[in-house]
Amino acid sequence: MIGHSPILQKVWEYAASRPDKVALVWSDESVSYSQLKNRILAAAAALQSKGLNANDCLGIVAKKGLDFVYIYFGAQLIGVVNVVLDPEANEKRLEYIRSLTNPKMVIDSLEMVEGTTPNPICGLSQNDTADIVFTTGTTGVAKGVCLSHFNIFSSADNINGFIGNGPEEIEILGLPLCHSFGLGRLRCMLLKGATLVVLPSFANVKAFFAAIEKYHATGFGMVPAIWAYIRKFSGTRIAKYAPQIKYIEIGSAAMPIESKKELCELFPTTRICHHYGLTEASRAAFMEYHACVNDLRTIGKEVSGKVSIRIFNENGSEVQDGESGEICIKGNMVMKGYFNPEENVTAYFGEYFRTGDEGCRATDGNLYLLSRKKELINVGGKKVSPIEVEDAIIAQGVEDCVVVGVPDPDGILGEVPKAYILKGGTSLSFEEIKARIIGMLEPYKVPVAWEWIDTIPKTASGKKQRLQLKK
Amino acid sequence: MKEMVTEIIAEVLRVEPQKIAPSLSIGDIPEWTSMAQMGLISALEARLGIEIPIEDLFDLTNVQALIDEVEKLKAGA
Repeated sequence: MIGHSPILQKVWEYAASRPDKVALVWSDESVSYSQLKNRILAAAAALQSKGLNANDCLGIVAKKGLDFVYIYFGAQLIGVVNVVLDPEANEKRLEYIRSLTNPKMVIDSLEMVEGTTPNPICGLSQNDTADIVFTTGTTGVAKGVCLSHFNIFSSADNINGFIGNGPEEIEILGLPLCHSFGLGRLRCMLLKGATLVVLPSFANVKAFFAAIEKYHATGFGMVPAIWAYIRKFSGTRIAKYAPQIKYIEIGSAAMPIESKKELCELFPTTRICHHYGLTEASRAAFMEYHACVNDLRTIGKEVSGKVSIRIFNENGSEVQDGESGEICIKGNMVMKGYFNPEENVTAYFGEYFRTGDEGCRATDGNLYLLSRKKELINVGGKKVSPIEVEDAIIAQGVEDCVVVGVPDPDGILGEVPKAYILKGGTSLSFEEIKARIIGMLEPYKVPVAWEWIDTIPKTASGKKQRLQLKK
Repeated sequence: MKEMVTEIIAEVLRVEPQKIAPSLSIGDIPEWTSMAQMGLISALEARLGIEIPIEDLFDLTNVQALIDEVEKLKAGA
């Protein structure tokens, strides 16, 4: 019944070998591995009682809490495909995802009866789709990424292998569960038989530190914007815990070099592991700050021997070391494919997935990321498609505009959106446009800077050249 | 001052003022995110003409703490 899911196989194994070992903690409630197994079974039974069958899609709103974990794995147990939804997603995006995947239902909680078990399901395979996670998409159209049970296991296995954490770890999870990073940490820890203490978020830094103390935490994951936030609101107080913190995983965005250096000073014996990857190719490369202290700009090398990264030119030929080209990835964690088969047509060079990122490899094997995926705006790890924001602005009757990412003046979020509005193309003021689009977009997508522009740079074919305006 | 601070918090978090109890802490409601906390500090400083010392930020984790901080800074001004 669990042959299709290597992660569930391990959870079942821990439920048998260490039934009382704490798997999860939420709001002072501890759940052991045996309890976790039973609640996953009960969730699976509840989903079946609601008519869900293998290969049906289930919209699961990733509200922080243990219900999500039970539903998420309960669905996987019976071959139901999780369509993981961001609780902050706007209605337009949700409707788009619903229209594509047609989930049998969309839930954020589930009534379960303890002690119940699902009817066994036969014929499930590790290659079956476990999750569909929607990206932002450079064209503004979100792409559904199909990850198999084997993909998500492989990713967690790769990550655990690089970080080197063990079953004795106690990790604090403040990351959201609707994105690849947080969801990946959950899988990593359960795969290892370790303990995960789930917090609502990192917003309350004092509570985060209190959790590190209370639970004797040995690791956590964070995005660079959270580090900037922690730094702003607590100075260097976190250094007090450095001796007990064995590892930190960082990702979703670039970390300023000076911040990397400071983290090395504050955490002299901690493995500080920064990943590079995409939803389509999770955590493909890693670097460790102390090991790369003389070369902190690198994104490192392949996470494991089961992953290969090559740099190809636009014709799909591999370039020489030192030459730049598109970063392309092959490996056990690379997605099955996009949900929309048309999107797969240009997504690969042979067996290698094309990331759309420009990079190069040095002769020592270290990789470098030269520019992010086209014009995506990276707001503290959350990706914003400029086209979505532009569409919202133009929907207000503005003739034309272009949105780009500019450095966050506060130095915390990395990038923030800036809108250039075509002069003469509207009678509205910037404040009026902003007030009108606030309800249409998630808060982090709303431009924080505005400027009139005489002409919008475009190619001969009319494509907006946003990168020309990035400062 | 308490009313003013509560009003600003409600405005930044986009919730009704009745929801802003003194014991309400960061993360207690989904609206009070890390981004909201940064916006809150900026709004309090801008609207009340104060500058919150960086070393005080760590303890400003609930509504009462914010009220107390503002009153302290205003009294010392």
